[in-house]
Amino acid sequence: MARLLVQLKLRLWLNALRASSGAQIAFIFSVICAAAVAGGVFLLLSILGSGIAAADVTTVIFSVFAVAWLILPLVIFGLDSTLDPATLALYPLRTRTMAAGMLAASATGPWPLATLIGLLGVTAGLARGALGVLVALLAVLLQVLFCITLARFVTTGLAGMLRSRRGKDLAVLLIIPLFAVYEGFIQTVPKLLSEGALTASSFGGVDLWLRWTPPGLAAHAIYDASTGHLGTALLRLALLAGIIGVIGLLWIRSLGHSLVTSDASTRSAVRGSALPFARFGLRGTVAARFWIYQRREPFALMYWGITVVIILVVGVRAALTTPNFLGGLLASAAFGSAFVGSFHANVIGMSGPGFALEATSLSSKRALRAYFSGHNLALGAVAVPLLTAFSFGLAAVAKRPMDGFLGMAVDLAGIGGGLALANLFTVDAAYPVEKRAGSPFPRAASGHVGDALFATLLTLLGVGVVVIPVILAVVNTETAPAAIRLPLLVLGAAAYGLALAWAGVQGAASVAEKKLPELSQIAIASKL
Amino acid sequence: MSGTAIAVTELRKSFGPKEAVAGIDLEIAAGSLAGLVGPNGAGKTTSLSMMTGLLRPDGGRVLLNGMDMWADPPAAKAIIGVVPAEARLFERLSGEELLEYAGRLRGLPAGEARSRAAQLLDVLDLTGDAKRLVADYSTGMRKKAMLGCALIHNPAVLFLDEPLEGVDPVSADTIRRLLTRFAASGSTVLFSSHVMELVEQVCDHVTIIDKGRIVATGTTEQVRNGKTLQQAFIDLVGSRANDAEVLSWLGSSSS
Repeated sequence: MARLLVQLKLRLWLNALRASSGAQIAFIFSVICAAAVAGGVFLLLSILGSGIAAADVTTVIFSVFAVAWLILPLVIFGLDSTLDPATLALYPLRTRTMAAGMLAASATGPWPLATLIGLLGVTAGLARGALGVLVALLAVLLQVLFCITLARFVTTGLAGMLRSRRGKDLAVLLIIPLFAVYEGFIQTVPKLLSEGALTASSFGGVDLWLRWTPPGLAAHAIYDASTGHLGTALLRLALLAGIIGVIGLLWIRSLGHSLVTSDASTRSAVRGSALPFARFGLRGTVAARFWIYQRREPFALMYWGITVVIILVVGVRAALTTPNFLGGLLASAAFGSAFVGSFHANVIGMSGPGFALEATSLSSKRALRAYFSGHNLALGAVAVPLLTAFSFGLAAVAKRPMDGFLGMAVDLAGIGGGLALANLFTVDAAYPVEKRAGSPFPRAASGHVGDALFATLLTLLGVGVVVIPVILAVVNTETAPAAIRLPLLVLGAAAYGLALAWAGVQGAASVAEKKLPELSQIAIASKL
Repeated sequence: MSGTAIAVTELRKSFGPKEAVAGIDLEIAAGSLAGLVGPNGAGKTTSLSMMTGLLRPDGGRVLLNGMDMWADPPAAKAIIGVVPAEARLFERLSGEELLEYAGRLRGLPAGEARSRAAQLLDVLDLTGDAKRLVADYSTGMRKKAMLGCALIHNPAVLFLDEPLEGVDPVSADTIRRLLTRFAASGSTVLFSSHVMELVEQVCDHVTIIDKGRIVATGTTEQVRNGKTLQQAFIDLVGSRANDAEVLSWLGSSSS
């Protein structure tokens, strides 16, 4: 069974690679990343040395790998159909046999190999002497096994949840804290390292409790064996093996349970009995639909959450590092509005087959103008208060509250420009999206990854260009009295943003009127 | 019945080298309940998509109550209702909100859209689930909600693509009764289906399509020609009968 599932996993990969060039690029990128991680971690661990401080850092690195293995399968669930035990439920397999097969399948691929190679860096770093190296080999194998077993246990336990609508919604929202942690990590760790604020001794306190976790047991077993405490080292490894065994047994139990348990269904009801704003004509009706989606659709919440993280990261970093805070504030406003545009640059593809209902009703240019302006009204109702609140918040933190108006000016122009570009790309470069089985995330359908990248990058770039006049106005009016300058800047930027949004609606409606059947087919091709 | 509700002339569509619809002609009288049947990949969905303005044809003409779908799409679309095969609409709206949205898109005043939505939900036996998200609906409930969306503006011509696919018998009966009542009022229904018994039972007009071509069309009696519709369909489309020779190992007497 183990061999069969490994072959199945390899076959799925090969088929995916043959099916599209996008999959080939993604696979090559994944292999390059895995190789970089393997090489980088191996190098890092090998130069750490053999002291107790090195053991502490090794513990932290082992723990980071365990956490990554724990979290990533939740996010990429469904990318690998061998991961979902439900796909094997029909076959006459004993749970233990299936568990062994799934474990072997999980251990196949560039990332398990990268984990193994990377962690083997301890043989050239922390480990000393033949016994130290021998224990290091054992410890790394157990650590990799621990990572895989833990990931399998958690994934299997949550598989039922991820097949329900509410569970998928939660998984989608999980991306926001993950993205925030990732952004925080790449923004702060290199900076702290370059300033010498992050050294091996920084982990001394952390290790006091991490050393008793499974990754800590593996790392300290190597240290013990290298310092002549072989008995303690073996005891630590035995304890680690025991923990892996317990997790494995729990996993097998969970696996057996999940195969005969139906998915959780959701029976929640919505409040209210009518579409808001529906009395305001077609524009209000469409705005109502998009407004509801901003609250109920997890992708919409995810997009807003990521926009907030981007604003904060760019703004806070600027507040911390830029001598001229204003540059950072304006950059954060421009980035925020650019992402508002880029996240909504494929509205028809993201609407999916439901767009057919709209397409059979909205076919005149006037109706399509109402459609796009209704869409923009709903997004603007979220984006304008959100982005301006952050502009004023950042300005207040920097103790320059009046600068919030300057950020607001860029927000208003950027949101108008972003929505205009989003409307235009929605009709000019629409592409179908799909959710693969078990995955909560929609992505560009096979063969359309380039389209998605094109629309996203050009929207980001386009917003960067359209806010330049406002930024120039801000910079060139610094000496003007604030009482005149600020209202003029905000009103001028608002008018400019509205004009851009209006132009986007006109352009998009003209294009959509001519290619509504083609847009309908793209929407129908989306698998949401 | 009076006049022609659906008049299709030389309608064709190719996807690359594959000719999906090879120049079909079809005429359905107003007030008909017509069925479009054919094997998988015969061109049913492609034909219906072109008739409803959702797929641009390579050639041909579609007249709906005299209005040319491809010369004046807004006018033609205003008089039709469509239930597509894909049972996914706006998943994050409740059933009630979805029907109201459909009504407002069709230009009904807000109060009227709300009132009709409530009545349709009642008839479709969805009142108890009106406030639940469509995302949590079963296939049958989705199909009924889609039918409600297609009917809310009282269209003259209703198109349905596989309306009973994956629908339980109770929901199927509700849909069937509603369609029969709708056609009896003088409106026209054209639906595609694989369920021959249903087509035979409720349709007064049947068209059989195979490999993008119409192989039979007329009243149900004419197409059946004294046989069951199932048998007439198999006789026209053909079937594979060599399975038993190939699968000699299959069955309890073999191992």
